[in-house]
Amino acid sequence: MLFNSLQFFVFFVVVLVLFYLGPRAWRRWVLLLASYFFYMSWNAKFVALLLTLTAIDYTAALWIERSEGTRRKRFLVLSLAANLGFLGFFKYYNFLAENLVSLLDLRPHMFALSIILPLGISFHTFQSMSYVIDVYRGEQKAIRNPVDYALFIAFFPQLVAGPIVRAREFFGNLFHWEAPTSEEQLRGVLLMFLGLTKKIALADRFSPIADSYFRNAAGHAGAMSAWTGAIAFALQIFFDFSGYTDMAIGMALLLGFHFPVNFRRPYLAFSITDFWHRWHISLSRWLRDYLYIPLGGNRHGNLQTYRNLMLTMLLGGLWHGASWNFAIWGAYHGALLSLERIAGRKRFQDPPAWWLYPFRAIATFVLVTVGWVFFRAATFADTRYIIGQMFGGVSGPGDIVIPIWLLVLVAMSLLLAVAEEKWEGIERLARAPAWAYATALILLLVSVEMIGVTEQQIPFVYFQF
Amino acid sequence: MRVVRILSASLLGFLLFDVLIFHSRLYLSVVSPDSSTGYLETFLRNEKLRIGRGGDQVLAVGDSRMMFFTRYANELTPETGYTFATISTAGTTPRCWYYMLRDIDPAADRYGAVVVPVDDYDDGEIAEDLSNRLLDLHYLIGVLRLSDLDEFAGSMHSVQNRVESARGILLNGLVYKADFQDLLLHPIARVQSAALNRRDSASWMYSYIGPSRTMEGVSIDWAARTLTVPADVTPAQKAEFTYRFLAPRPADMGHQSAYLKYWLGKISDRYRGSKTRVIIIRIPRGPFIRPDQPPVNPQSSVRELASRSNVIVNPEHFFDELERPRFFMDQMHLNWAGSLEFTRTLARQVRQLLGPPPANGSH
Repeated sequence: MLFNSLQFFVFFVVVLVLFYLGPRAWRRWVLLLASYFFYMSWNAKFVALLLTLTAIDYTAALWIERSEGTRRKRFLVLSLAANLGFLGFFKYYNFLAENLVSLLDLRPHMFALSIILPLGISFHTFQSMSYVIDVYRGEQKAIRNPVDYALFIAFFPQLVAGPIVRAREFFGNLFHWEAPTSEEQLRGVLLMFLGLTKKIALADRFSPIADSYFRNAAGHAGAMSAWTGAIAFALQIFFDFSGYTDMAIGMALLLGFHFPVNFRRPYLAFSITDFWHRWHISLSRWLRDYLYIPLGGNRHGNLQTYRNLMLTMLLGGLWHGASWNFAIWGAYHGALLSLERIAGRKRFQDPPAWWLYPFRAIATFVLVTVGWVFFRAATFADTRYIIGQMFGGVSGPGDIVIPIWLLVLVAMSLLLAVAEEKWEGIERLARAPAWAYATALILLLVSVEMIGVTEQQIPFVYFQF
Repeated sequence: MRVVRILSASLLGFLLFDVLIFHSRLYLSVVSPDSSTGYLETFLRNEKLRIGRGGDQVLAVGDSRMMFFTRYANELTPETGYTFATISTAGTTPRCWYYMLRDIDPAADRYGAVVVPVDDYDDGEIAEDLSNRLLDLHYLIGVLRLSDLDEFAGSMHSVQNRVESARGILLNGLVYKADFQDLLLHPIARVQSAALNRRDSASWMYSYIGPSRTMEGVSIDWAARTLTVPADVTPAQKAEFTYRFLAPRPADMGHQSAYLKYWLGKISDRYRGSKTRVIIIRIPRGPFIRPDQPPVNPQSSVRELASRSNVIVNPEHFFDELERPRFFMDQMHLNWAGSLEFTRTLARQVRQLLGPPPANGSH
């Protein structure tokens, strides 16, 4: 059941009706059962995995809170081992097995297993681990009610692709739940349709273009083809993921939950440092708080800082998927972040002068787009070929693989993003006069109707992670 | 309450947009003449603008195989007494023909007869399940009404196509989407081509003559199941010929029969009690007739309809003489010579079947 399907909208309306019209005491149960139903609609068998991890972390947190000294650490390690063990098995087993086979020159695929990656495992394990670590650090009280904890892990708006919500944010909302104000309701609806528009009117339009280019890059030789093919993916992944996130935040808002912002116009970033403050913010925050800072952060001199940055980004890359391409993508960003630090941290954290901003933003977008080639290409050989074409393709300029009308749409989106950066229009619309809000919503609905890919449902890119 | 009011107003505004632009037929004035919708709309508009009403008017429906050139049929009007028109549109199906007839003849009183072609009189199964053909929605979107939602969407076999049809009938913009995007790309060229089509298409269509190439030189060894073609036939064409003549016939699942009984029945029902006759003909099937023709089916759609007083079934083998390679341009379409022969023969046969037209052309 994809967010961009009619079935999901029907499901969500039913959940809203049951949530608000049912007795107040049932509300958590309504959300929990709806969440499990949502998860099971993809693959019912894996609900056992979700329940197991939920039970382990729920119990581990209680034990950590009740214990002292090394026992606390033991329970923490047990919980982390369980999470990373499941994640490692489902996500990385075949990758490690294949590399081992290749290293030892054994028969190909001799250790390979046919493993289906459970939906959203990277997201809910990270969320769960952060909770147990927070309890261990004393920053979060262990949750007594298993229903509350199970809901934290399985809450359907963010179960499969985030945002990765911190326990204190979620439980703060749950324990002090307040009905959304009319302004929040309007914002929630607007975000849902903004997300839907981003997904089906933009991301799904770029999806076949990027797929076609990356499936057969050699068939589209030339620098122009390579750049526009890579840009098509850059736009697809942004509109896809931020569209999903907008819908998740909007839905949560309608249910009275406030999720953190996950995207803040990342392609307007003026540096790679700024990019990571704007792209998948909840993951960046998680990596910072649970990996980069525990590794020492920037507290032990420059070399250690660069090492920590590289390690954090490398693991962040591998979090996305089990392939060397993701590792290289992470390392590439780690290297760029380190280079920016070497060149002067302040210069890349504070916005440049207004006249310099567009150039810096374009340069950042170019660097990010090059990075997306590592992320999207199926093999390292493909990556090398495409990057080679981008920087001095010998087969002539090639074609612009993106149709002009889509480029016009992107230009309009860019203008809207610049306006949003300056005036936060989406925030204001919920408070604006009714006619302004209604006009915006009508425009979104018309975009979905007239531009959206409604003939088929294209899954969200991040569902595979 | 404020939220409900604003959201309701937004939803209404959105629906109003769809109604004003698409349901109002405003968009049809700029729809691409080359699109399925635009192509069908061209035929319907030209026929609506054509002057002529009464018992002496005969209308042909059909798909691209109904090579009925009204210009040559009408040259025989002094002999037959009838004036012929056609809305035969390539790619359409009996389901489309029903809605097309309803659109151009809402009171079911404009014609003396409507000629409806079929492949055979035995409801032979075909590879495509016509009832599940979503393309019909794209042809018909300009003529479908909200009240058709239940019947049209319900007539699709798969749930997915039912949902898509229902969605399209409710929100026409979803169906016009590709055309609309193309309009955004070339607005001026589109407006010009739509205007040109409105002005001249009737005369283009009336003057059209089909290609003169023939299927002579193609031969089939039915026993060895091999097909030989002349050197100028492309591999793709040969593949099409082979599929048409030598591919195994689909097993009879009863789909085609049920489909034809429903939609030919609907066409016949439209004219039940009126003075319009429905004439069913077996179209010239092809340059070669496969030996494995469907078995005689006494309960077929056509044979059942034959008992109705407003239905006339043309003798089954009436056009057999045209089923020769020299009359066909490909595996199923008549060429210029075949079309001319077919048109004239059919015009005279209509006169034969209906008798002389009523005096003054009235019913």
